[in-house]
Order: sequence, then structure tokens, then C-alpha cells
Amino acid sequence: MAQDTAVRIEEYDDPTYDPFSSDEINFGDTRDPYPEIARWRAQAPVLEGDYRPRMGLSSALYPDRRMFTVVGTEEILEVLTDTGRFSNAAYRFNIGATFGQGSISTMDNPEHGRWRRIFQKIFLPQYVKHWGESIVDPVVQDLMAAFLPRGAADLVEEFTIRYPFEVIYRQLDLPRADVRTFQRLAIGQTDYMHYDKASEAGRKLGAYFTALVEERRRHPGEDLVSLLANTEVEGEYLPEIVLISFLRQLMNAAGDTTYRGTSVLLTALLENPDQLEAIRQDRALIPQAIEEALRWDGPVAVQLRMASQDVVLGGVQIPAGSLLDVVAGAANRDPAIYPDPDRFDIFREKRAHFAFSRGAHICVGQHLARVEMTRALHAVLDHLPNLRFDPDKPRAEIRGSMMRVPKHIFVRFDA
Amino acid sequence: MPAISVTLRSGERRQISAADGSTLMEAIRDAGIEEMLALCGGCCSCATCHVQVDLQADPALAAALPPMSEDENDLLDGSAHRGATSRLSCQITLGQPLDGLQVTIAPED
Repeated sequence: MAQDTAVRIEEYDDPTYDPFSSDEINFGDTRDPYPEIARWRAQAPVLEGDYRPRMGLSSALYPDRRMFTVVGTEEILEVLTDTGRFSNAAYRFNIGATFGQGSISTMDNPEHGRWRRIFQKIFLPQYVKHWGESIVDPVVQDLMAAFLPRGAADLVEEFTIRYPFEVIYRQLDLPRADVRTFQRLAIGQTDYMHYDKASEAGRKLGAYFTALVEERRRHPGEDLVSLLANTEVEGEYLPEIVLISFLRQLMNAAGDTTYRGTSVLLTALLENPDQLEAIRQDRALIPQAIEEALRWDGPVAVQLRMASQDVVLGGVQIPAGSLLDVVAGAANRDPAIYPDPDRFDIFREKRAHFAFSRGAHICVGQHLARVEMTRALHAVLDHLPNLRFDPDKPRAEIRGSMMRVPKHIFVRFDA
Repeated sequence: MPAISVTLRSGERRQISAADGSTLMEAIRDAGIEEMLALCGGCCSCATCHVQVDLQADPALAAALPPMSEDENDLLDGSAHRGATSRLSCQITLGQPLDGLQVTIAPED
């Protein structure tokens, strides 16, 4: 662990504030949004109106403009791959406001690609696979050691909600003493119900990362901050605002998503014990199990785009400036691509899914996500024999209109 | 309108014609060859449009290919099927000098 005595992290002005706001407020508790999505698709590939109210939630706080929801696969692909007509500037309203306007999620090519390629270089599959052994495995083993002797656990509270964030802390080589405050600030950035706190968190985390980056430029290590601060591609380094925005976004982009994806994977396998058993017998099935979990109920089901000119999409006239909720999760359940799409089936024919989106902004962390989920599943298979739902506790229920996750996965196993 | 020969994973060979200025990836996808994915849409951000160039056909074509960037090289390194003539087809812009190019779609990673 680095001894960054020069770097100070600052708590909220009000230390009694609890940033762990409920998912219900942000995403709702929808048990299954997919039948509703299928009904929309039966009407039309593109519909007027935004996603959230269709799911019984209040609209997000965007400026007043026309909104559309895209659920047809062809149209989803068109929007995600035609960056000339469909812009990521839409994300300035939420991601940019939350994590900083240097977030590459808010940018279009060529500016976007210029910076993305630097992150992409660090997260190449041949590099991140080493982090599986060096970072992910030790984190996973530590967390499991705490509950192994009990023969019972909540695989969310004691495992999935913790391990991806622990991985980030180790990747950043965060001083241990800073972890609690760091997590409180990182989570608080997205507490839209308390916008003053969200701003405070963003400001303080930005200041912390700025100081940490300076420190790691002076004394570079093997950690992610050192790498990002010192990596260049063809002579270009990351500008400060891009680097700091990325680090602020990391908890959300890398932690939140991986925790939810892993929780869904474990739930799906527990609900389909024959498939879990098949993987026990043959670990070579792990990659396809991960892909199927991501297809079946991946966390980031919706992307936001803005029409940068008047367009016609799926027969619908969309004026320039309109915002589009692109429901990539709908494509993941398209029966024309995936027969019997609502069934979780690790043996189905291999077809690329949409859970990491598509196009220029395709998830830059996807290879690391796969490494983390792979290591987590190996550890579950290695250490939790005869894993099953705890019959004395409520069954895991995946909930939410987006960023879906079960609150708990109560299990028993042979200790 | 350059003519390109594409060998699918099954071994089937198809002749496709490409619009001048389109990328090889676009030409392959536009010809309805869906087995070759292009998940990032041709931005040099994945490795799914991976092809192997058949250089015995006409060595002069090798010289007409654009040089490989560091990014393309890195992405190809991540593929289990990288061969000596591997390229990401989204990085090859087509024109008359590449008329007659022959490629094979690389196995899926």
C-alpha cells in the first residue's frame, strides 16, 4: 500500500449524511421489465416518450426536449453505430454533470476516440487478464474466508457488492485509511435526490484524485492511477480533466456494473441448478455462462443518445436535439436473434449480445468485467460445494428498471 | 469498384464488390456476410472484424495495404487467432489499388 501522506481525502461537511441511497429511488423495483419492453416492440421499434415514465418512474432531469425510446434491434444498432447522426452529448446532462464534463462518455469522435484509445490500451484483454490473478483472486479469497466456515451467506452483502469495489481500491492502490471516505464520496456522486451532496462529493473526489495523480507522477507505481497518468499513445497523454473525470466515473462504470452483473449470474445459476451443475463438471462452460447472464439481464440496459440532426428512425421523425433512450436490453431479448429469449440458457447458440453496448462507445472495461466475473465464479465453484438457495430465507429477486440486481442472495453450502 | 474475394469460416468463397472509399469491414458486412462481427462499428475498439489477408494471390496487394497502427496491432495481439497476415478489416480502406484482394474471415475469439 502506498504511503501517500501528502494526499488528503476530505469527508462531507455533514459526516452524518448517508450516501447509500436506495436503488428504488433511482431505478424502481420492477420485478421484470422485459415483458413490457416486448409489448412496446410489438407496437413499434421507436416510440415517443422516455423510458423511465414507461417503467413507472419520474422522468430524469433533462432540459425540455422531445424524447424517444428505441426498442427495435435494427434501430438500436443504427443509433449506436451512426455516431454522426446520434451523439453522446446527451450524457452531458447526467454522466458529465455527475462525474465531470471530461468524461469520454459525453464526447463524440474524433475527440472521443483520441482519449478512449488511451484507456483502451490499458484495458486490453491481454493486460487485464493478469489482474485476475494479481488483484481479483486475492480480493475474492479474502471476502470468502469470512463466511466459508458458516455454511451460509448472503452472496450480495458479503460478496458481490464488495468485491468489485475492493478490486478498484487495489487497482488504484488507495491508502487503506482513505477507503471509507472514498466510498462515501464515490457513491454520493450519484445521489440525485440530494443534489447539494452529489456536487460536494464530486468536488471533493475531484480534488482527491488530482492530488493522487500528482503524487503518482512524482512517485509512479504499478497501480492504475500511475498507469493512467503516465500512459501515452503516439505522444499524447490524457488531459487532466479527462483523467479526473474517468477516475470519478470508475466506481460507477466498473464497480456498480460488475457487482450487479455478478449477482445476476449467480442468481440465474442458482435458479437453474442443472446448468450450475454442468459448469461444476466442466469449467470450460464458464465463458458462455457469463455471456448468457449478460445477455439475459445485463446491468446497463439503456443508453442515452441525442439526435444531432433531424432524422427518421424506424419510420419516426425525430427532430435534432431530441433525446433517445436506446434500450440495448431489448435487443438482448429479441426472439429473432435469440430463440426463446426470456430463458436463461448457457447452452444456446453463441450470438454476440448487447450488454456492453455497441459502436464507438462499446464498454472499454468489458475484458476486465469478464475477468472479474470469471474469477468470482471459479471461487464460488471452488469453495461453495452443494451451493443452493437457503430454504429458510427469501429467494433472491432481481429488481429494477435498469441496473437490475437482487438485494440479497441467501445461500447455503457445505462448509 | 474494387472486387474482393472473401472466404467464410466454412471455406465457402464469395466475390463481393465494394464502394470506393468504404472499409473492407463495411464491404463485407454490406454484402450480408454477418458471421464477421464489427461490434464497435469500425472504430478500432474491438477485434471482431479480424481477417487474414491471402498474400500468395498477388504480393503487390500487400504493399497497397495501409500500414498497421499501434492500436490495431494491440487489438490483434489480444486475439487467439492472430496470424502473420492478420488485419482488422475496419482499418483497410478500399480503392482500385486493392482490387483483387483476397481475405479469409478469422475464427471467432
